[in-house]
Amino acid sequence: MLQMAAVTGSAQTRFSRRTDGSSFRDWAGEAFEAALAMSGLEHADIDALIVASESDFFTLQLNPASILADDLGLIGAATMRVEGGGASGQLAVHAGVQAIASGRARHVAVVGVDPSASQLPAATVKLLYGYSFDAWTDGMTGATATVLYALSYRAFAARIGIGVACLDQIARQNRANAMHNPNAHLPRQHKLAEIAESPLIAAPYRRLHCSPLSDGAAAIILSHPDAVPSARSGAPRISGIGAASDHAQLGARQDAGTFTAKREAMQWACQQAGVTPADIDVAEVYDAYAGAQLQALNALGLSETLADDLEAGHFAADGRLPINLSGGLLGQGAPVGAIGVAQTATCALLLEGRYHPALQPQRQLRHALADTHGGVCTTAAVTVLSQAGAS
Amino acid sequence: MISYELTLPYSLAPGWLAPYVEGLQKGRAMGRSCTKCGTVSFPPQRRCQCGNPDAKWVRLSGKASIELRTDGSDGAFGLVQFEGAANRAVTRLEGFSPDQSTGQLIVPPTDVPALVLAPSKPRSTS
Repeated sequence: MLQMAAVTGSAQTRFSRRTDGSSFRDWAGEAFEAALAMSGLEHADIDALIVASESDFFTLQLNPASILADDLGLIGAATMRVEGGGASGQLAVHAGVQAIASGRARHVAVVGVDPSASQLPAATVKLLYGYSFDAWTDGMTGATATVLYALSYRAFAARIGIGVACLDQIARQNRANAMHNPNAHLPRQHKLAEIAESPLIAAPYRRLHCSPLSDGAAAIILSHPDAVPSARSGAPRISGIGAASDHAQLGARQDAGTFTAKREAMQWACQQAGVTPADIDVAEVYDAYAGAQLQALNALGLSETLADDLEAGHFAADGRLPINLSGGLLGQGAPVGAIGVAQTATCALLLEGRYHPALQPQRQLRHALADTHGGVCTTAAVTVLSQAGAS
Repeated sequence: MISYELTLPYSLAPGWLAPYVEGLQKGRAMGRSCTKCGTVSFPPQRRCQCGNPDAKWVRLSGKASIELRTDGSDGAFGLVQFEGAANRAVTRLEGFSPDQSTGQLIVPPTDVPALVLAPSKPRSTS
């Protein structure tokens, strides 16, 4: 197994709609300090700060990495901000791994943050998101993110023959997992009918099939495998990263429902890690919409018989391949820049057996997968994490 | 809380998309025809799927068939196939009943160069 970097620290804030007067700078500080404390490293040990934040529209702060370097006590470290829509956080993790692999850095802080919920009205954020696909065609036409995801899911559902009821099951399961996650935005014990009867946004998507806008931050500390503090020698390793792209316009794709970029990203990551999808024990998957989770499981090669596997409970918290134990975007929430970082942090904590106790699988986990994308899977980024001793 | 309002009066240059944008404002579907393989794209793709970046602008009929559609509080939209184009487009659907599956590009209701489709045949009044 390739050991590209160790995840020596992992933390996140609560994801929610903040009304307590705290700012994204507070949340970034909270997540970073907790991750640094876990790593046992000092501020001066951090060679690079990589910030994931989707949009200056949310923060009203161009060049957020510079201001956060100051807040976090990292002046002197190399700084950059990484952006790739919804994939921003995972791409920032990749940038951190690459900084270590290049020899430029021994310890990197990756901080993802966005005030997606509280700083702008929801209608304004919805409008901005409409311009995050192809602004010149889809955006000008007024198609929202939900509209584009709905059309993509319709193409997928028609191809593989899957019903709308699966969407209700996904939303229920992810939010039920979130019940045991104290950081979650939407812990809910939904009845299926409540989901199926929620307001129709863009058929087949109803309000409860959609992830919320959230505020929050997540941080990880990445260390060179030769520089891991002795107390953290068992820290999980990042063993494979993969990223790929697809046409932004659904109509330019061979099949509007297939997440081709995700499939390619997964192949890269698995090849690097020396694993196959069947080796993955647990995964955090990008469920911006309930159907996107199904499209992701298909593209990642984690299920050939989706409806049957879902029905059999294979992806449930006690199933053979738990998906989105955190609750995912649907349950834990979606502060965009923080998502990918939080997914990777979750995977690292799960591999260490240090996740929220009610969600921590009792069996030994060897490999975990964090899957993120931007657009309707226009920009895909996946990361495979493995036990320090895994071969 | 600091209340702060920002207005952003963009002047967006259409660049290579200029014929497309000007066409839309008149309700015309201007596509790109590859100078090597003849493949026509609408919405226009800068580079043909064969890899050739050179193309000439051609006017399509603007007729389209709806392949997939979605309706709800976010509006009515479709993934549609324009006559003569190799790719498909996401368009807004104006005034379609559930059984109507063909439409025509129309002049967008606002100044924004939007892809808007209206039914080919008038809606039944019964």
